[in-house]
Amino acid sequence: MSKLNKIIVVIILLACTLSGCAKKESSKVIIYSNADEEAQEVIKQVLDENGFKNKYILQAYGTNELGGKLLGEGIDVEADIVTMSSYYIDSAQSENKMFVNLDESVAPLEQTPKYRTPLLAIEGSLIINTKELEEANLPVPTSIKDLAKPVYKDHISIVDMAGSSTGWLLVQTLIDTYGEKEAEDLLVKIMRNAGPHLESSGSGPLKKVRAGEVAIGFGLRHQAVADKKEGLPIDFVDPKEGNYALTESIVVVKRSDKKTKLAKEMAKCIVEKGRVKLIENYPIPVYENEKADPEKVSKQTKQYTKPLTIDLLQKHLDLSEKCRIEARE
Amino acid sequence: MFKRNHELKLIYIFIFALFAIFLFYPLVLVLMRAIQTNGVISLDNIVKVISKERFVTSLSNSFLIASITALLSTGIAFFLAYTIHFTSVPKWFKKLINLVATMPMLMPTITYGFAIIYTFGKQGVFTKIFGFQPFNLYGFNGLLIGYLIYTLPIAFVLIKNTMTYIDKKQFLVSILMGDSPLRRFFHTVFRPLAYTLVIAFIQTFFLSFTDFGIPAAIGGQFEVIASTLYNQMLGSIPNFHNGAVISLVMLIPSIVAVLVVRKIEKMNVRYENISDVMLPEVKKKNWFCGIVSACIMLGVVSVFAVIFILPFVKEWPYDISFSFVHVIETFQSANLLDVVKNSFIVAIATAVCGTIVSYVAAIISARGKMPKLIRGSIDFVSTLTNALPGMVVGIGFMFAFKGTNIQNTYIILIICNVVHFFSTPYVMIKNAFMKMNLSFETTGRLLGDSWFGTLRKVMIPCSISTVFEMFSYYFINSMVTISAIIFLVGAETGVITTKIKELQHFAKFADIFVLSLLIFIANIIMKTLMNHLTKKESEKRYYVEAK
Repeated sequence: MSKLNKIIVVIILLACTLSGCAKKESSKVIIYSNADEEAQEVIKQVLDENGFKNKYILQAYGTNELGGKLLGEGIDVEADIVTMSSYYIDSAQSENKMFVNLDESVAPLEQTPKYRTPLLAIEGSLIINTKELEEANLPVPTSIKDLAKPVYKDHISIVDMAGSSTGWLLVQTLIDTYGEKEAEDLLVKIMRNAGPHLESSGSGPLKKVRAGEVAIGFGLRHQAVADKKEGLPIDFVDPKEGNYALTESIVVVKRSDKKTKLAKEMAKCIVEKGRVKLIENYPIPVYENEKADPEKVSKQTKQYTKPLTIDLLQKHLDLSEKCRIEARE
Repeated sequence: MFKRNHELKLIYIFIFALFAIFLFYPLVLVLMRAIQTNGVISLDNIVKVISKERFVTSLSNSFLIASITALLSTGIAFFLAYTIHFTSVPKWFKKLINLVATMPMLMPTITYGFAIIYTFGKQGVFTKIFGFQPFNLYGFNGLLIGYLIYTLPIAFVLIKNTMTYIDKKQFLVSILMGDSPLRRFFHTVFRPLAYTLVIAFIQTFFLSFTDFGIPAAIGGQFEVIASTLYNQMLGSIPNFHNGAVISLVMLIPSIVAVLVVRKIEKMNVRYENISDVMLPEVKKKNWFCGIVSACIMLGVVSVFAVIFILPFVKEWPYDISFSFVHVIETFQSANLLDVVKNSFIVAIATAVCGTIVSYVAAIISARGKMPKLIRGSIDFVSTLTNALPGMVVGIGFMFAFKGTNIQNTYIILIICNVVHFFSTPYVMIKNAFMKMNLSFETTGRLLGDSWFGTLRKVMIPCSISTVFEMFSYYFINSMVTISAIIFLVGAETGVITTKIKELQHFAKFADIFVLSLLIFIANIIMKTLMNHLTKKESEKRYYVEAK
C-alpha cells in the first residue's frame, strides 16, 4: 500500500471511530425546560421523591433558544419531555407533529389540546425601582395606560414583542382593555416614553430597573416578587387593567413505546404532584379545584378574550411593529 | 520519494471536505429557506423582507457603525502594536499593553453591555465618581464603545503578529539613508503591513456587523441588522425563512471582501530573513507613543474595571458592601463542575484541531505553488467564516446534523468552533508564512528532508510564536462563544457560556459576572502558559544557534 493510501485509510478509520463512539443511547429521560430556577427545583424535587431519581436529566434553556431548537430540530430534538410557552408548543406541533397525546389526568381550567397540559402560568406587572422613583420625583403608576403619560418620558422600560413574548402581555393588556384603536395610540406613546429602553429580551426591563437606569419597567411579576423579597429597592404594581398571563405547558416527544411511557408517567407526576408547590411561586390557578394563596395572588389575573394562537400573536406583532415605526418618527 | 505536491493535495482534499460538509452544507440548508417556502421556490419572500422598513434602516445603520468601528479599531490597534515593536518604552509597559489590549477578548460579549451600563449609566461607577454622565450611552455612542472594545483585541493580535515578521533592519537602513521620518514610516512599517491592516479592517468590520450581544444591551433605538436577524430567527415568532433572507443579504459584503483581499495580496512584502535589531532611541517618540497608549489602556480598563468589582458586591448599585454571596451561590449551583469540565474539553480540543486545520490550510494558500483557484477558495472560506453570524452557523449545524450521530456531542461543538473561528488564526499564520523566505521548502528538499521533515524542522520552529497565538486564540474563543453553540449543546454537553445564557433568561445577573470572571481567569492562565512556552521555545532556538 502506498503511503498516500495508508493515510487515507487512517483518516477513514478515525472518522468511523469518532462517529461510532459518539452517540450512546441515553436511557435517562431528558427534560428541556425554559422554566425559572424555582420551577426547575420543584420539578426535580417532585421527580426525586416519586421514584424517578437518577432517571432523568433536566436541561434549562432560554425561551428563544429552546423555541429555535424545537422548530429547527423537530422530532430529532434530544429531549423526551419539554416544558415551554404553550403557543410555541402549538406551533412546533403543527410544524413537526412531534408530541404524543398525554394520559388523562386533572382537568385544566381552559380548553387545551390533548398533547399538552399546563405546568404554570406567568403574568405581567409593573416593576418599580422605589429609589429611582423617589429621586426622580415621579408618581407611582397604577395602570399600564399611565405609562403613556409625558411625565414618564425616559423613565420606563418595556419589552419589544418582536423579541420576546413578555412584550406580548403588555400589548394584550392594551388591546383587550381599550380596543385596537386606542391601544395603538397608547402603545405609540408608551414606546416614545421608553425611547432607548425598548428591550428585545424579556428580562431586559428588570435589568434596567435593577441597574437604576429607569424607574419603571414592565416585566414578569414573579421575578419582581423575588427581587423584593431579597431586599432590593424593587416593588411591583398590579396594573388596573389586570395582570395578563401566559401559560407554560408540558409535552412528551414521540419516542419508542417504552420511553414514551416512562416520559408520560413523569410528566403526569410533575403536574399532579408539582402543582401544589408551583402555585406558591406562580400564584395563578390553571387546574380545576386549585386555589392560590390570597396573600400572593395578583389583584386581577386576566386571560385574553380570544385563545392565544400564533395567528393572534402575528396580528398583534404587526400592530406593535407599526407603532414602533410611528413612535420613532 | 514522496513528492511534495502529494502531501499538499491530500491536505487540500481534507480541508475541502471539512468545509464542504461543515460549512457549505449547513449554510446551504439555511439559505435555501430564503427562496423556498413549503417546497415552492420563489423570490416573493426575499422581496417581502427586503422591502420592510426595519430592514433597510438597520442595514444602513450596520454599515455605518461597522465601518467606523473597523477604521478606529484598526488605527488604535496599529498604534498599540507600533508602540510595542518600534519604540523603546520600558519592557513592563509593553507587556501591559499586550495584556490590556487583549483583555476584552477573554470575556464573553454578554458582559460588555453590562459593563458599559454599570460604568457610564445613571448609577454607573463613572457617573457616581464624577457626578455626571459623560454621554448618552444608548444608541450610536454606546455601540461604538462596545464594538471598539470587542474588536480591538482581534485587530491588535493580527497587526502585532505580522509586525513580528517585519525586518527591522530596513528601518535602520532607512535612517542611515537619511530618509525623512514620514517616508521611513511609510516604507518600512506601513507598506509591509498594508495587507494585514486591510485584513484587520475586514475582520473587525464583520465582527461588529454580525454581533448581536452588544446592540441587545445598549443599542437603544439605533437598530442594527444583527438584531433584526435575531428577532426574525428567534424572536417571539421564529421565522427561519425571513431569517435566511437576512443572512443572505449579510453575506454580500463578504464577497466584496474576498475580491479586495485578492487585489491587495500583491502588496505583500517578503523578507529574506528577519532581524530584530535594536532601534535607535528617539525620546520624543517614546514619550508620545507611551502616553497615548496609556490613555487608550486607561479607556479600556475603565470600562472593564467594574466587572472585577461586581461579583464581590452585594447588590450593585444599592448595596455596595463587600460580599461573597454571589460567588458562593454560583459555585453551589448544581451542575457547575460538569459545565466547567465540558468547557475545558471543548476549548482544548478546539484549540488543537483548529490550530492544525488553519496551519495546514495556510500552507496551501501561502506556501504551495497551488493553482490560483485553490488558494483563492481557502481565502474565500476564511472570509466567509468571519462574515457569518454565529447564529446562522449554529442554526445551519442544527438543520444539517439533527438525527446524526454527532448531534448533542462534544464533537459537533468542537467542529463548529473550529469552522466558526477559522478566519483569524488562518490569517495570522498566513501572514507569517507570507513574510517568510519562499525557498525554505526547496532548500529542505535539496538537503534530503521529507516535506514533513521540513515542516517539523523549519516551518514550525520559524512560526512557533504564531502557532501558540493561534492555539490561545482558538482556546479563548471557544471559552467565550455563545451564539452558535447554544443550539448545539445537549443535556450533557452544556458549557459555561450556555449556562450564562440560561442565567440571563432568569435575570440572574450577578451570577453571570461570577461565571464571566471564571472564564477570564481560565483564559489568562492559558495565555500566560502560551507566552511562557513561546519564550522557552525561542530560548531553545538561540541555544541551538549558539551551539
